[in-house]
Amino acid sequence: MNAGLVDLILALGFGVIAVRRRTVAVALIAAQSLALGIGALTLASGRSSDYLVASLVLLTKAAVLPALLLVVLRRTREPRLVAAAAPGLVRLGGAAAVAFAAVTLVPPLGLGDARTEHVAVALVLLGIAIVVARRPAFVQLLGLIVAENGVSLLAVSVPGGLSYVVELGALFDLVLVVTVAAAFTHRIYAELGTGDTELLRALHD
Amino acid sequence: MTELVPVLAVLVPALPFACGLLVLATGTPGRADRVNLATAVVSAAAALVLSATLLARGGSAPLRGGVYMLDGASGVFLALIAIVGLCSALLSPAYLRTAGRSWFSAGRSRHWYYAAFYAFWGALLAVPIAGNLAVGWLLVEATTAASALLVAFTGRRHALEAGWKYLILTTLGLSVALLGIVVLALALSRHGGGGLAALDWHALERAAPGLPRQTTLVAFVLILAGLATKIGWAPVHNWLPDAHSEAPAPISALLSAALLPTVALVAWRVKLTLAVAVGSANARAVFLGFGLASLIVAVPFLWRALPWKRLLAYSSLEHMGVVALGIGFGTPLAIAGVVIHVAGHGLAKALGFYAAMPLLRSDPAAGRRAPSGVLATSRPTAAAMGLSLGALGGLPPSPVFVSEVLILLGGLAAGDTAVVIVAALALALGFLGLLHALLEGVIGAPGRGRSPRRHRGDRPIAAMTVAIGTGLASLTVAGLLLPGSAFVVTLARGAL
Repeated sequence: MNAGLVDLILALGFGVIAVRRRTVAVALIAAQSLALGIGALTLASGRSSDYLVASLVLLTKAAVLPALLLVVLRRTREPRLVAAAAPGLVRLGGAAAVAFAAVTLVPPLGLGDARTEHVAVALVLLGIAIVVARRPAFVQLLGLIVAENGVSLLAVSVPGGLSYVVELGALFDLVLVVTVAAAFTHRIYAELGTGDTELLRALHD
Repeated sequence: MTELVPVLAVLVPALPFACGLLVLATGTPGRADRVNLATAVVSAAAALVLSATLLARGGSAPLRGGVYMLDGASGVFLALIAIVGLCSALLSPAYLRTAGRSWFSAGRSRHWYYAAFYAFWGALLAVPIAGNLAVGWLLVEATTAASALLVAFTGRRHALEAGWKYLILTTLGLSVALLGIVVLALALSRHGGGGLAALDWHALERAAPGLPRQTTLVAFVLILAGLATKIGWAPVHNWLPDAHSEAPAPISALLSAALLPTVALVAWRVKLTLAVAVGSANARAVFLGFGLASLIVAVPFLWRALPWKRLLAYSSLEHMGVVALGIGFGTPLAIAGVVIHVAGHGLAKALGFYAAMPLLRSDPAAGRRAPSGVLATSRPTAAAMGLSLGALGGLPPSPVFVSEVLILLGGLAAGDTAVVIVAALALALGFLGLLHALLEGVIGAPGRGRSPRRHRGDRPIAAMTVAIGTGLASLTVAGLLLPGSAFVVTLARGAL
C-alpha cells in the first residue's frame, strides 16, 4: 500500500486518542476507514475478484460504522465534555510510546513491507491504549474500531488478501459488537446521566 | 447415523437461532416461556444426537465437510453445551419471574432475553463444529455480542459495568487473536496457501511443517493471547468475576460451564495444528504459563469470604487453568483428564450457578456477601451448593478429582515434574479454600434473623441436583474407563 496512505491511517489513529470532541473523533474514524478502503482498492488490480469484494466490504465499513456512531452521538448528548484522564499531549505521548514499542519489539512478520507491518501492529496497540486512556464509553468504543482497522490494514496487505468471507464475517461481527456497544453507551448514559466510565468502577474484590 | 452428520452439522447451530426468532414472534411473556421450553428441548435433542453419533465413532478419523470438522472432542463439547444450554433454558422462566427490573421494556424483556439466549447458544454450538480457524474466530466473536447483552440484562449499574467490561475487553482480545490469524494467513500465503480454505484445521495441520517458525510463533502467541481473554486465563481474566457474578444465574452457568471451555477447544486445536511449526516446547510453554498463572491467581480468592457467584467465578479461573495445563502436557493421560474435567467442571459449575437462584431469592443480600449456614434455611439449596462445591473442589469421588489426578499424571508422563508439583500444591490449596466455603457457607451457622423455610421454588433445584449428581457419578466412572481408550489416543494424537 502507498506509504503516504499508511502514514495517514496511523496519524488518524493518533488523532482519536488526542481529540476531546466526540464528533471530531467520529470524523477521524470515518476518514481512517475510508483511507483503508481506498488503499485496499488501489491494491485490487491484478488480484482475485475475492480481493475486490473484500475491498468493497472495507469501503462499506467506512460508510456504515460512522453512520451508526452518529446515531449514537445524537442519542447521548453530553451536557459537558467528560473530564480527561490525562491531558491531550500526555495521551499523545503515551500513544507515541506504544507505537514506538510496536516498531521495536515486534519481529518481522514476513510481509516484506516493514512500514505496513509496524503501522498495523501499532494501530492494534493504539486501540487498546484508547480504551485504557479515555474515559467516555463512546470513545472506548472507537478504540475497538481503531484496533480492528489495524488488523484490516495487515489483512489487505497479505499477498492475495484475506478471504472476503473473513472480511465480510469480521465486518458483520464488528457491526454487531458496535451496535451492542452503542446500546450499552445509550443505557450507561441513561443510568448515569453521562458516558463517563470512571463512574463504573464499583466491582472489585 | 453417520450419513445424517452433514445435515445435523448445519441444523444444530441453526435451530437455536430459529427458536430465538420464534420466541421473539410470540405475543405474551407466558407464551414466550412455553415456546422456550419446547424449542430448547428440540435444540438440545438435535445437538445430543449429533454428539452421540460422534462419540459412538470412538477413535475414528474426524468427519470433514465444506464447513465442518467433527471429531471426538466435538462430540464431548456439543454434549456439554447442549445439556447446560437445556438446563439454563428450563430454569430461565423461573429466573425471569423474579428478575425484577430489566434493561428492556417490561412487556418485551422476556422476548429479548430469549432471543439473545438462543443467539448465544446457537453460536456456542457452532464452535465445536466449525472446520476452520477463521470461522471459529467469527463464531467466538459472535458469542460476545449476545452474551454481553445478557450479562447486563438487569440494566442495573453493576450489571452495566460488568457487561461493558466484558464486551470491551473480550472484543479487544479477539482483535489481537484476529491479528494473529492474519499473520498466520501471511505465513501461509508465502508457502502457496491462500484463501479461506488454507485456514481449515485439516489444511493447517498439513501445511504446518513447511511454515516459517518465527512468523508462525508470532501468530501462535497472538492467537493464544487473544483467545485467553475470552477463556478467562490469567492475567487477562479481569472481566470474568464481574460478568459471572452480575449475569442472570442461567447465563452465568452457560458462560462458565460452556463458553470458557468451548473457546479453550479452539485454543487446543490451534496447538494441535501449529505445534509442529512453532516447536512442541514453545507451544507447551504457552499453555503451561497460562495454566499456572490462572491457578496461582485464583487460589487466594478461593480462600476469601466472597459472594457465592464471585466464588464460583474464581473457581472457573482455577479450572480453566487446569484445562490449560492438561492441553499443555498433551499426553494421552492428560487429554483423558481434560475431557473429563471439561464435562465435570461444566456440570458442577452449572449446578452451582443454578443454586444461586433460590439462594438469592431467599437472601438477596447474598449477592453482595458470602452466604452462611444455608443448610439451616433450605436443604435443597444447600444440597445443590454442597454437591457443586464438593465436585469443584475435587473431593473424591468427584469426576474433577479423577480428572485432576489424570492431568497431573499426564504431566509427569510428559516430564514436567516441576509444573506438576506447583499445580498440585495450588490445587490442594484451592481444595482447602472451597472446603472452607462449604463448611462456613453451607453447613455452618445461619446468619442472624434467617429461619428454616420450605418453598415451592426449591423443587427445580432439587430435581436439578439429582440429575446433575447422576451425571457427575457417570463421569467418574467414565474417567476410570477413558485412559488408554482409542478415543483418547486419537484426541491426543490430534489428527484434525
